Amino acid sequence: MATDRKAEVTWRGDLMSGTGRIDSVTSGAVGGLDVSWPARSEEPGGMTSPEELIAAAHATCFSMALSNVLAQDGHAPEQLKTSATVTFQPGEGITKIALDVEGRVPGMDKEAFERAAEDAKENCPVSKALASVPEISLTARLEG
Amino acid sequence: MARGNGTISAATGAFEDLPYSLAARIERPDGKTSPEELLAAAHAACFAMSLAGELSKAGSVPEHLDVRATVTLDEVEGGSHRIVASELLARARVEKMDQESLERLAEVASEGCTLSALIEASARVTVNATLEGGTDGD
Repeated sequence: MATDRKAEVTWRGDLMSGTGRIDSVTSGAVGGLDVSWPARSEEPGGMTSPEELIAAAHATCFSMALSNVLAQDGHAPEQLKTSATVTFQPGEGITKIALDVEGRVPGMDKEAFERAAEDAKENCPVSKALASVPEISLTARLEG
Repeated sequence: MARGNGTISAATGAFEDLPYSLAARIERPDGKTSPEELLAAAHAACFAMSLAGELSKAGSVPEHLDVRATVTLDEVEGGSHRIVASELLARARVEKMDQESLERLAEVASEGCTLSALIEASARVTVNATLEGGTDGD
């Protein structure tokens, strides 16, 4: 079954001095988030940006994929702490995404965890959608 | 994974501890966000900025742009899921602009939005733009 997820944004003014707002999304989980070009390309000043939302999308997608790979191996994780850092170069676009995960996975060794993380990085839907980003890196380690 | 759940926070502090889960992602959202929803928010914001830039360059600073992005996740052969489409819809309140020029600029804006270019490599990106109230005011 296909699922649709929608987001609505209002923008006022030109690019450099105007502002936008993510008004609502399908789930209602997010709303009233302001965005602007200076916040996106310079200091965020507490504002989100397309790249930060992509980072959130990728981190959540990767975490779900990894938990699934681990569970299929018989090692459902107790906890995965994932960060995704998206690098935006104005005029060029997104040049890099760095994924980092720390897992608490009972009975799993380091190599197997790294292999599972690599699998999740290759196959999660957001990774597939963003496959043309020049560099997607991954570091994976077990807690403790 | 089917029973697990998570939370996601932003480094800027713009959002914190948003819940997400697989069930919310592929069934009903029940107040939880998902990777595709966050991508839709990113795409709408990216395209809105790009369109504001193109309109301004054409000498018509937009008073107001309403942008929607809808990202579709679908099951593909083998049972895995793929992002298959992102649909952009814009309604523009802008002076000195006709429908045809707006549509052309919306295409250019999508090409110039970094996320459209990335998604287009593996999924369908569609753009629709309409003028609010027409050129003779409302």
